Amino acid sequence: MRQKQSKPVDPVVIVMLGVVLVAIAIAMLAFPSDSNSIAIAANSGLMSQLVVAFVTGITTGGLSCLAVQGGLLASSLAHQIEQDYVASASKNKKTKQKSAPKEIQRTNSAFPIFLFLVSKLVTYTLLGALLGWLGSYLTLSPISRAVLMIAIGIFMIGNALRMFNAHPIFRYFSIEPPKFITRYIRRTAKGTDTATPVFLGFLTVFIPCGVTQAMMATALGTGSIAMGAALMFAFTLGTSPVFFIVAYLTTELGARLEKFFMRFVAVAVLILGFVTLDSGLNLIGSPFSLQNLTRTWFPSQAVSAAVTDSGQPVERGEIYLNVENSGYSPAVMTAPANTELTLNLVTNETYSCARDFVIPKLNFYMLLPATGVMQTTIPPQKAGTTLFYTCSMGMYTGQIIFE
Amino acid sequence: MIKKTFKIPDMTCTNCAMKLESLEDDLDGVKEINASYHKLEMAIEFDESKLNDEQIIAAVKKKGYTALAG
Repeated sequence: MRQKQSKPVDPVVIVMLGVVLVAIAIAMLAFPSDSNSIAIAANSGLMSQLVVAFVTGITTGGLSCLAVQGGLLASSLAHQIEQDYVASASKNKKTKQKSAPKEIQRTNSAFPIFLFLVSKLVTYTLLGALLGWLGSYLTLSPISRAVLMIAIGIFMIGNALRMFNAHPIFRYFSIEPPKFITRYIRRTAKGTDTATPVFLGFLTVFIPCGVTQAMMATALGTGSIAMGAALMFAFTLGTSPVFFIVAYLTTELGARLEKFFMRFVAVAVLILGFVTLDSGLNLIGSPFSLQNLTRTWFPSQAVSAAVTDSGQPVERGEIYLNVENSGYSPAVMTAPANTELTLNLVTNETYSCARDFVIPKLNFYMLLPATGVMQTTIPPQKAGTTLFYTCSMGMYTGQIIFE
Repeated sequence: MIKKTFKIPDMTCTNCAMKLESLEDDLDGVKEINASYHKLEMAIEFDESKLNDEQIIAAVKKKGYTALAG
């Protein structure tokens, strides 16, 4: 019978819990549940994107990293930590056999993992900033942004179908890093003298998992340095707790979990892919986006545009649209055909992305003031024409039906 | 030195290819390994006096994959 040892609390567990708590604390600070919070009302569009990024990170992103980076780097790191901190008895032995000693003094062993994660977080945040900056070059117009979003959507759907093993062709949606990079990462991870956790954390940027690649594509789509950085920060922060746990699990467990969760990850990526594709379709003013199709198939009461918010009749040729934090009101309105119209865009403490107003068909784009009325002219439209409008992210939509 | 290609039908991502390429460091007599997730195959250049197909297949199995001699 083996004697039962009373084990002291492993510092790994403490730091692991710390990482989880810090992640939760940051999430709570960034996304307060108080509905009266000005911050959330002011940036509901941006905030919801960050929440999605964080939740994606903590669920599918973390699991996907578990399958990809966790399998290689975390295990390499764990081996390295063992080699670094275990008594140097086996130092001169060739490390061909993998029989790592079970009873290891793991004092301070959590620290390298922490460094690794911080390095990964910083690197991906900088990558997000870079992608956002690149995106700002690519997204000069809402149309080019729409094209990018559609491409991202297709990329995500393709990747999801790859995970489902739908057809061999979908394997090409996965980007293979160049051989010299993978070889360099592998050799660095195996070395015990030069490799540092910080460097390993940095190197993960070259082997992003499927969900990370999708998130990188989304960061590119934001077209903003700050938003790209924030998005990747939120996402990578979300992956950290899972990644931390993974760093202490064996590679075999990682492989088992990989198979178990791959379908779940695939479903999540598939949904996100369709959402992105749909936003792109909204942004080009396509009648085939989900929101526009729903409005066509299930027409609700269209509001006549010749009435103001207060119900007062207005001047002929003037139509009003309320641009609110939660979207456009009315979302469907009717307007007289064959008449030149003045569209009044009314904002009242509107801070969401609904403010970035786009009418794709007219190639009209305007960033509206938070409060005020802006006007634009709509040339005469034939009866039966539908003019779609949307925010610049393709999230909020509406339409004007001419009759 | 000879070069052989093995089919690896159970690769699930590009990082599986990376795992297989790490056999370069684990197996004696290997000059180079190029694994491709897109093609689900692994090309290996090795010294046949030091290594044979069975040993390669066994090493691949140890990594969690199935190698089929092509």
